[in-house]
Amino acid sequence: MLEVRDLRKVFKGGFVAVDGVSFSVPAGGSLALVGESGSGKTTCARIVTGLERATSGTVLLNGATSLADRRHRASVVQMVFQDPYQSLDRRQTVRSCLVEVLRHHTALDRPAREARAGELLDLVGLDRRLGEALPRALSGGQRQRVAIARALAPGPKLLVLDEAVAALDVSIQAQILNLLVDARAATGVAYLFITHDLSVVRHVCEDVVVMSRGAVVESGPVERVLTEPSAEYTRRLIGSVPRPGWVPSRAVSRG
Amino acid sequence: MSMPLLRFESLRVRLGERPILRDVTLDVHAGEAVGLVGESGSGKSMTVKSVVRQLPEGATVAGKVRFGGADVHAMTAAELRRMRSREVAMVFQDPRATVNPVRTVGDFLTEVLRDQGLGRAEATRRAAGLLAEVGVDHVERRLGQRPYELSGGLLQRVVIAAALAGEPRLILADEPTTALDVTTQEEVVAILNEQRHRRSAALLFISHDLELAAAVCDRIAVMYAGEIVEILPAGRLHSDARHPYTRALLRSRPGTVPPGERLETVPGVPQSADAVPAGCVFADRCPHAEERCRSVRPALLAIGPGSAACHLEVPC
Repeated sequence: MLEVRDLRKVFKGGFVAVDGVSFSVPAGGSLALVGESGSGKTTCARIVTGLERATSGTVLLNGATSLADRRHRASVVQMVFQDPYQSLDRRQTVRSCLVEVLRHHTALDRPAREARAGELLDLVGLDRRLGEALPRALSGGQRQRVAIARALAPGPKLLVLDEAVAALDVSIQAQILNLLVDARAATGVAYLFITHDLSVVRHVCEDVVVMSRGAVVESGPVERVLTEPSAEYTRRLIGSVPRPGWVPSRAVSRG
Repeated sequence: MSMPLLRFESLRVRLGERPILRDVTLDVHAGEAVGLVGESGSGKSMTVKSVVRQLPEGATVAGKVRFGGADVHAMTAAELRRMRSREVAMVFQDPRATVNPVRTVGDFLTEVLRDQGLGRAEATRRAAGLLAEVGVDHVERRLGQRPYELSGGLLQRVVIAAALAGEPRLILADEPTTALDVTTQEEVVAILNEQRHRRSAALLFISHDLELAAAVCDRIAVMYAGEIVEILPAGRLHSDARHPYTRALLRSRPGTVPPGERLETVPGVPQSADAVPAGCVFADRCPHAEERCRSVRPALLAIGPGSAACHLEVPC
């Protein structure tokens, strides 16, 4: 469904953010791009969704190399960001936000759009009455549900989630992670999960690509990579996750 | 046990009509590390801010905060200044908000030391020593650099060095590693831990991450909706947590269940202190709540190795 080959991104001034990165997501699959700040994971996501242009390399979406038509691209790939408040229009009710997306991307008539908006609210576990609410009346978790409903509205084949659960409290994060597992089962949408959090990866992804300083360090099935990491960097990443009995140690300072 | 270094006695804070903290009672002993854990809006930061009287404008305080026996909210301006500059140090989430962006690292560090009466050369020498202790390399060069030239992890080490410079008896750390990458977090936390032990300073460590707090602290206090609902020795967190909220927090982390299985969730959203019911603060979301949970507020009582505010005999 998504095939990324030899992606390279050089920003103005010559900074190489992404260097020779390849990965693929099968239809209905779930791939995690994991790395720390500066690893290039978000740049990859932005290139896949068309927010950024690659310096070289190819991105194949549904077998097509270029989705020049933005509307068509949006019906194939959608993105969910870390901060739902910044990605929602604060003057637009939840329902009108969903209906607007449906009007742009589907052939549904008005009553069908209204009905579909209701189904989307059900899908993300939001009370239908909240359809009339403005974003400021919602909690962080509810806003992220709205952002997910909006992203699913055009019926995309791929959802790019950029640190979509990072800002949520743990008990809310668990709700959203369960929701993402359910939504994938219900709609067959594939996920490209951008995250720094390995425990999230284990829970929602089948495959993982570990990135560091713009390059792929290691990739493979989540279970294999997280239990028998072959790269030193992956081992360090796994070792630094707080867990029962964990004793933080002071490694050699990297400056 | 000796008198605690820091004591919260039924601390209640209101902002206008809104309760922010409802009856916080907690002791931190000299040299002890206590973790304050909870979700956003639970009152962790307000609890810490009350120690140095940095509550928001318009806040009204009832109950007491005692530092070394003295009532913090009855201190004179001079006493408060002395406490803030000499005895209590603070480390916040964003190091860039702490340091002056246009002055050098050296200026930032020596300011504290010069204030203690050290000469310029001696202050610089001490600053260099402090930086080396917190694992900063190329110390001479760093002293001449400005904050924007340093990574977040490095800058947070500078802030910790500055916090240690005053030889404080208590360090208040509010999510000090939340903005950092995990590998950097590990180093910064290890350094904080090591330096605290070396100097026998007490630590009040705020985190939303139970496992992180448990790794750094001796005891963990779990906050919810402006109250402490449970206190436990850090090593007993997993085995002895009794409060349904603590247990839910422990089990809602991905990684606690096999992949593919559903995470345990707490229905609803975290309460803020102004919306809590008459009884237990967690009753609305608790899967085990009984009738009395909704009407009678449970007191924080000693049980097992810690204490919990819960009516239920054998929760969960």
